[in-house]
Amino acid sequence: MSVKIERVDACRWRLPREGAMRTDGLVFASAEMIHALQQEQALEQVRNVATLPGIVGPSLAMPDIHWGYGFPIGGVAAFDAETGVVSPGGVGYDINCGVRLLRSALTAEEVGPHLAKLVDTLFRNVPSGIGSHRQDLKLTVQETRKVLKQGARWAVAQGFGSTADLDHIEAGGTIEGAEPELVSERALERGRGQLGTLGSGNHFLEIQRVDKIFDAEAAEALGLFPGQITVSIHTGSRGLGYQVCDDSLRTMLRASRSYGIELPDKQLCCAPLSSPEGKDYLAAMAAAANFAFANRQLITAWVRESFEEVLQLGPGDLCLSVVYDVCHNIAKWETHTVAGRERRLCVHRKGATRAFPPGHPQLPAAYRAVGQPVLIPGDMGRYSFVLVGTAGAMAETFGSTCHGAGRLLSRHAAKRQARGRNIETELQARGILVRAAGRATLAEEIPEAYKDVAEVVEIVAAAGIGKIVARLRPLAVVKG
Amino acid sequence: MGRFRLLEHTADMGLEATGTDPADLFLTAARGLRAILLGRRIPPLERWETVEVRGADREELLVGWLGEILFRLGAKGFLATEFAIEELSETILRGRFGGCDFDPDHHSLEREVKAITWHRLAVTDSGGRWRARLYVDL
Repeated sequence: MSVKIERVDACRWRLPREGAMRTDGLVFASAEMIHALQQEQALEQVRNVATLPGIVGPSLAMPDIHWGYGFPIGGVAAFDAETGVVSPGGVGYDINCGVRLLRSALTAEEVGPHLAKLVDTLFRNVPSGIGSHRQDLKLTVQETRKVLKQGARWAVAQGFGSTADLDHIEAGGTIEGAEPELVSERALERGRGQLGTLGSGNHFLEIQRVDKIFDAEAAEALGLFPGQITVSIHTGSRGLGYQVCDDSLRTMLRASRSYGIELPDKQLCCAPLSSPEGKDYLAAMAAAANFAFANRQLITAWVRESFEEVLQLGPGDLCLSVVYDVCHNIAKWETHTVAGRERRLCVHRKGATRAFPPGHPQLPAAYRAVGQPVLIPGDMGRYSFVLVGTAGAMAETFGSTCHGAGRLLSRHAAKRQARGRNIETELQARGILVRAAGRATLAEEIPEAYKDVAEVVEIVAAAGIGKIVARLRPLAVVKG
Repeated sequence: MGRFRLLEHTADMGLEATGTDPADLFLTAARGLRAILLGRRIPPLERWETVEVRGADREELLVGWLGEILFRLGAKGFLATEFAIEELSETILRGRFGGCDFDPDHHSLEREVKAITWHRLAVTDSGGRWRARLYVDL
């Protein structure tokens, strides 16, 4: 199905309102990216989101946009508190999938000789792949409900990290309003054994080197310097979040019918934000999001433990501290200025990151002058980026920007390109050690499967919806 | 016996299945999901478990049937590799999963599947030829 699209400028494309659309679509992309997008369903998905009731502003897509299910990946949409809806498909199955960045006091030169042992230790200490879990972490149902209520705060109270970590997590590591009793027994059963696990697919744990600073002032505020060792953790709410979404979709399909909401795709099923179904979903989603915050907090503790074990250094020498932790699959209540008026909106970010500007009251004091850190992973062979939020993002995208590189190749196409190659050896030749649990993971996650994330963040910077601070090169990667 | 093929998707994966009747279609779709999860390496069958799924229509029933395979694996560590249907209406499915306990030290998956999505989901009957299309979240 062809989608009408008009070029606005070098990095903006408008999908004019037509048919059942209630608003325009606005896509941030280069001409090359748009050409690739026209071969798949992502633009149609931007248009579908624009048909949902109570949408405020355009149906947005960030430059890492690609075909998802329901919403496009890279999709952002804000809904009015009174007339708008909440859609589990606008959050996704992996509720609060996100990225955490740790900085250290170490340099790449210091860590280099220990890298192989370090990646093996991380692979052992941080469970990855299905069925793997820590033998020393067994939660009762009652304890799991505390995790759902408290998020990363629960983990810190159990001795996994410190309160300083919490100050550097979006929402302080706890989404308020979580109601664990709205999380089904099935979701609890599916997720309980998966707390503190990385998962598989595009989830990863990566040791990196800061190889370029683009903004010295912001880098200093974030505690980043050239040659520094950093660690990125990319994971979410595991089976618990998948099941919460799955359960909610059935409720929302019925709710959509009963509220008379026309759906261009069943995955966009939704309910009014003011309805019991809408409120229940947001409360269950918050619980799953808290599970994800706790998950990344536990993994952080095991990363620290692994560094201490291999390098024989204490916490004071390693200084492995949290730079920031961002959600990129979430729906959140936020206040935004629309046409000169402050409005309370529910902002859906499906594969998009919050990017609040300097001075925003929700930022930690250390970052208030430079803006919210935004963590943008690339692929396992090239680089990742650290950005900060901008006033431009606040004005144009409800304080949102991209979340990653965005896939370019399907899994079949990636496997075809990887056939006959030894990906592990290729990466090693580029100075990158890799360990993977899944059989197909390395082939499906080859660097060529993704857009060049540098091109994505260049569009972000050119559009003014993010400012580039630093580039990180992978040294060792653990994949699920 | 029905056939299935895997569909291209940029981030995830699709599945199209055909069958001579709804039961054949559902069994074929389950074998398609098994191919996504396991490829061709199927561990030996150890035991059978009963399954009951309910839904408002055949589409919801299909999502529930396949979703149950993912749930048993994620929640109970049971890897379903064989499938049987004893009763199937538009709203109820009663059947069995054959499989084994998944042991990460001895078994490995091709890839993890998070969920069966409703994106472009379709179950159709065209002149006695049943067809289903669905996408999974990876």
